[in-house]
Amino acid sequence: MIEVSNVTKKYANITAVDNISFEVKDGEVVGFLGPNGAGKSTTMNMLTGFIESTEGTIKINGYDISKKPKKAKRQIGYMPEGTPLYTELNVKEFVTYMAELKFVKGKEKKDVVAKVLEETGLTEVKDKLIRNLSRGYKQRVSLAGALVGNPDVIILDEPTVGLDPKQITEIRNLIKNLGKKHTVILSSHILSEVSQICEKVIIINKGKIVAVDTPENLEKKTQNKNTIIITVEDQNEKMQTIKEKIREIEDIKLLKENGDGTKQYAITSNEKVDLRKDLFEVLPKEGITVLELKKDETTLEDAFIKLIDSDLLKKAEEKDKIQNEDKDKNKNKEKEKQKEKNKDKKQDKEKIKDKIKNKEKDKGGKK
Amino acid sequence: MWAVYKKELKSYFLSPIGYIAIGIFLLAFSAIFLFTTIFVRGYDMGSLYFYIAILGLPIIIPVITMRMFSEERKNGTEQLLITSPRSITSIVFGKFFAATTIVIITLLFSLLYYVILCFFKAPNLVTTLVAMLGFLLLSMSAISLGMFISSLTEHQSIAAILNFGVLFLPIITSTFFGVEIPFINLAINYQKFPSGLVSIQEIVNLLAFMIMFILFTIIIMQRRKSVK
Repeated sequence: MIEVSNVTKKYANITAVDNISFEVKDGEVVGFLGPNGAGKSTTMNMLTGFIESTEGTIKINGYDISKKPKKAKRQIGYMPEGTPLYTELNVKEFVTYMAELKFVKGKEKKDVVAKVLEETGLTEVKDKLIRNLSRGYKQRVSLAGALVGNPDVIILDEPTVGLDPKQITEIRNLIKNLGKKHTVILSSHILSEVSQICEKVIIINKGKIVAVDTPENLEKKTQNKNTIIITVEDQNEKMQTIKEKIREIEDIKLLKENGDGTKQYAITSNEKVDLRKDLFEVLPKEGITVLELKKDETTLEDAFIKLIDSDLLKKAEEKDKIQNEDKDKNKNKEKEKQKEKNKDKKQDKEKIKDKIKNKEKDKGGKK
Repeated sequence: MWAVYKKELKSYFLSPIGYIAIGIFLLAFSAIFLFTTIFVRGYDMGSLYFYIAILGLPIIIPVITMRMFSEERKNGTEQLLITSPRSITSIVFGKFFAATTIVIITLLFSLLYYVILCFFKAPNLVTTLVAMLGFLLLSMSAISLGMFISSLTEHQSIAAILNFGVLFLPIITSTFFGVEIPFINLAINYQKFPSGLVSIQEIVNLLAFMIMFILFTIIIMQRRKSVK
């Protein structure tokens, strides 16, 4: 169980993480998503006690990481970003050292290390120097270091960066299995990975949490319309008349004309309606042959981009507003200035007129 | 502490640094042994340790201490250490004693010269042991300084050069210009040990110096958490 409440991290003049709060329950696999520089690693580093938060509290299984660091850190297995390792050691020595650091006692140590090496598929290379291992294996060694000692909470910072597709699927399966016994937090900017492995996603952007939800819900939330992509052979050009036959259709848009006489359309409707059945029934009656029909689903990728873009948009709008207000203020000020100037001019004119009048009066008096 | 100690000591001998440090140490011992005993037909072990302390330590201690924290910081492995449930104090002491062990190993080797002299006329063993004890204390002070410097930078070479400078500067100023820099001149506290005298003042000075820089290192490492 991880409880993060109102955590802020400030550097000299940058706020890297801005007042974030979230909770990860026991046995959950949570993905931490965000573009580069969003504050993912900073948050991870605070969770593991590598850096201290400026404000707020972080509790791991009930232990405050800044007040009871030893107990809190015993609950955590951490795989840092970029897999730092002691390259002069061999695999077994490294994992044993990690076990010793985590207070695994002498008798159990051998078994614990052997078990972890087995789990991560490192038994074959256990006597090789880490320096000589390939990147994928190094990643696994780092993961083994995090797993050894059987900690409740496992924190993985970008665990699949730089791996080949086969290694990625292997590591993903490993992480999925971990979720059965442990609480897992992993950060990533690969969205498909998160939607595959994680039950919950936390999206962070510019140090703030933008969304916390399941990948499915996030996809639904950002999906406003139901879109169906359909490829048809339509010799009588009747496609646009379909709209009258099926009332739920809101829009039919031609996407492209294929060279072989077939056309691809995008048909949108209200989100609750599934048009696929109706289309299959109606189109053949109109003499249109359906070649392909599929639902266009928003992926987590779309959701992610939308969420972050909307965040950016809001900020841009706010900026615009402020600028416009400033402009308006400036304009008003200028107008007022001009009015004052005009007033001054008028007053000057009147004064001159008065003077002339007075002079004339004086002249008249003398006469 | 012992987990860190064991691993650090192992690392010294998995990389060439442990061998290089002990090698240079023994080379210096042999060279100075020639001048202090063989050429002058003496059997004074004390002056052997004294000259090693002045000429050898400023070169060897930086070699031993330069990578202590800077390498961890550069490779990012300090993340593994700091996020482990070990306290920073125990990590610092583990590393400190591992480096001290390298000096102890060399000192044990240096008994060889005592054995050589025994063939001619055995020097006083207690006097020799006192000189060695003083040398060990002196080395530990220098190691604590080197460790502190290593915790300040992520570049091993900068740590080594700085450490060398700080250790060598007072020796240059006192021999060539006659100017004493009392605080950082560790050799001042190694005047009575070589002749077999145990001086409380020297012991206290060296211990105080050592503890101070160990504490500084702990503070630096702890501060980094909130500054970083």
